[in-house]
Amino acid sequence: MLEVGRVCVKVAGREAGRKCVIAEVVDHNFVIIDGQVKRRKCNIAHLEPLSQILKIKKGASREEILKELQTLGVKAVETKPKGKKEKPAKQRKAKEEKPKTEKKTISKKK
Amino acid sequence: MPRPNKRSRTLRRIFRKTPSGTRLVYSKRKPSKAICSGCGDVLPGVMNERPYKMRTAAKSKKRPERPYGGNLCSKCMREKIRESIRNA
Repeated sequence: MLEVGRVCVKVAGREAGRKCVIAEVVDHNFVIIDGQVKRRKCNIAHLEPLSQILKIKKGASREEILKELQTLGVKAVETKPKGKKEKPAKQRKAKEEKPKTEKKTISKKK
Repeated sequence: MPRPNKRSRTLRRIFRKTPSGTRLVYSKRKPSKAICSGCGDVLPGVMNERPYKMRTAAKSKKRPERPYGGNLCSKCMREKIRESIRNA
């Protein structure tokens, strides 16, 4: 059931609901997955296999897997943070010199 | 007799130990913890504080980084995703 090339959906964790492909089988509990998720070791209890199997060789690279997933209409999820946008420098208004007004002094009448 | 504005039961009465004995202190109550909308268990990873703290706290402190985070517990979320795959 869970062999190299099997398309699965991740059921647990922050990547839950995303499609992935089994790239390698480590042992009866763990596999290495790739696709819409990060390339990492995953417990098979956290995967739900689908009916599709892709033709990839054992230990296939991320690019090959993403290319094969495109045929099923599955696109890679962008995880890179957006770059800092250059903001236009703030233009401050030049301070206008106000004409100096003479201060009126009220003389006290004694 | 406590003065009228301190009689409300929405205030907690705490006896604090001081060198001279105990002192009564009033404090406001915190809201209850959020529960899973599926099974009703208390949701871990969600803080429960009074409004000002909730508004000024970071988003990541109010829900886990996961689909249905802050709404379903991890167990219910897994079940829901499995169901959606099997039925689709």
